[in-house]
Amino acid sequence: MSALEIRNIHKRYGEVETLKGIDIALESGEFLVLLGSSGCGKSTLLNIIAGLAEPSGGDILIGERSVLGVHPKDRDIAMVFQSYALYPNLSVARNIGFGLEMRRVPPTERDKAVRDTARLLQIETLLDRKPSQLSGGQRQRVAIGRALVRNPQVFLFDEPLSNLDAKLRMEMRTELKRLHQMLKTTVVYVTHDQIEAMTLATRIAVMRDGRIEQLATPEEVYDRPATLYVAGFVGSPPMNILDAEVNASGLKLDGCEEVLPLPAAFNGAASAGRRVKVGIRPEALRLAAGSGGPRLAANIEVVELTGPELVTTATVGSQRITACLPPRTALRSGSAHAFTFDETALHLFDPESGRSLRTE
Amino acid sequence: MERQSPLFSVFIHASALLLAVVILAPVAWLLIMSISPAADLSAKPLAWWPSDIDLSRYRTLLSAVENSAGAAFIASLLNSLKVAGMATLAAVIVAVPAAWAVSRTPAVAWSLYAVIATYMLPPVALAVPLYMGLAYFGLLNSVFGLALVYLTILAPFTTWLLKSGFDSIPREIESAAMIDGARLDQILRILTLPLAAPVMATSALFAFLLAWDEFFYALLFTSDLRAKTLTVAIADLAGGRVSDYGLIATAGVLAALPPVLIGLIMQRALISGLTSGGVKG
Repeated sequence: MSALEIRNIHKRYGEVETLKGIDIALESGEFLVLLGSSGCGKSTLLNIIAGLAEPSGGDILIGERSVLGVHPKDRDIAMVFQSYALYPNLSVARNIGFGLEMRRVPPTERDKAVRDTARLLQIETLLDRKPSQLSGGQRQRVAIGRALVRNPQVFLFDEPLSNLDAKLRMEMRTELKRLHQMLKTTVVYVTHDQIEAMTLATRIAVMRDGRIEQLATPEEVYDRPATLYVAGFVGSPPMNILDAEVNASGLKLDGCEEVLPLPAAFNGAASAGRRVKVGIRPEALRLAAGSGGPRLAANIEVVELTGPELVTTATVGSQRITACLPPRTALRSGSAHAFTFDETALHLFDPESGRSLRTE
Repeated sequence: MERQSPLFSVFIHASALLLAVVILAPVAWLLIMSISPAADLSAKPLAWWPSDIDLSRYRTLLSAVENSAGAAFIASLLNSLKVAGMATLAAVIVAVPAAWAVSRTPAVAWSLYAVIATYMLPPVALAVPLYMGLAYFGLLNSVFGLALVYLTILAPFTTWLLKSGFDSIPREIESAAMIDGARLDQILRILTLPLAAPVMATSALFAFLLAWDEFFYALLFTSDLRAKTLTVAIADLAGGRVSDYGLIATAGVLAALPPVLIGLIMQRALISGLTSGGVKG
């Protein structure tokens, strides 16, 4: 049974169309991440699901029931806001229990639910405090608790971790994953952080300009990006995109002598003479040792040791390329080396439409 | 600023002192006048410090003997309290929903600007129409009539202050409460209004002061003890053939007490209201 279905949602603000036809169907228990840079419409879509905004066209179904025009409180959803939106004048316990209080759940039952939720989130000792007396991470837990306690059909998260510092963000990410594995509820989660998307999602919808660029599992988004935008957005450092031309014997990179073999996955998509964009992830590149495999002659420009890896920027012909190498690689800036890679690591895109040329 | 030259510190403290003197000197002189014997106030050169303390004027003004100056003063004090109190209460009641609506629905903000624009009209321009209107409804020389006129002054002002107060309360809090199942009245009662309490207190106090100090309309629309307010009563003290400056000063001191008391009581709410960006513009 699909827990949430988004059908051809459009949203216009006057002349500006922020959502241009979004279709997503979510199975119960899925963790969907809406990923995109700011202004792509992901938060608008979340607000439409929540009922805080009405779509200009299309339909939203929660549990197979259309919720268009249904008040947010009757949609069986709970939402965690970016700013937490805790009630500053109420205690933590009352913050968490507010939804139950408004739904006239008897005090004893409400109290028990609040305590159970607080225990789950390890904030039992904070129940009597006011939000202003909590740290950022604790506030975040309270906000999540307020959503959890109502046990809704769908959870909505609007960039919940973006106000936390890096270390806390990682902890809360793991915590969210743990909660989802334990509770198995359906989640829609908005973020611009591709790491959050990759780690949390069962499916990612990469959005851009009011459209979905790709809706797929994290592995597929990473391994088989559907468009240049997705390829550049997911992954850090981002995928190298090089200009090239297909010729009779393979791929010829601009400003470079070597001809790379055309990967099997793109057979037939590119005829000789066609201009293409070639993508290759920095982490797919290795220093060439022997003579086997495809080779890319490169001049090393900058070498940066991040700790777990060595990030190097080099020029290949006239184009710049980034590679992530093992940390103890002996490499000096200014030296000439050759990179090698598995031919399956290559991605080909159409330069005009940005679409992947993958045929299989 | 951790590092300051000694000269700069002296300058800062001197400036603060000067400001305090400028603000407090008239008040101090008012107090001194009110307790100086009449001879000291008419002496030449002026006696800046009273030869002995004379509290007789306080006795005069606070005596409840019928038809005395004291009875008239106390009646006007009560009138002022009633008028300012009613007008302030009504203004806050009107302003809360109006300010909330304008704050949450920017599309109707023009209406507030329109009201504020009428607020810019000088009172004298409205005096004649207001007089005729009050006369028509039989509300001349009535505390209710005067309170109604004051409401037209206070409501735009409090709405404006409250709007900036509501603006500073994130809308997400109300969205969250809406998803949690709270009705509009519950959201306002449990969340928004308690959060806006400091701003409400601030705007109520300023509205009260505005009404308390108003003179022009009170002079025009009241004629005797049934509705005459303090400001008019004090002016009356100066209006006779002989002006007892000491008596006027005493009335001034007494007139200042209620707002000061209210200010002291609401001090804490007031300070947080003033600092939370509640009083912009």
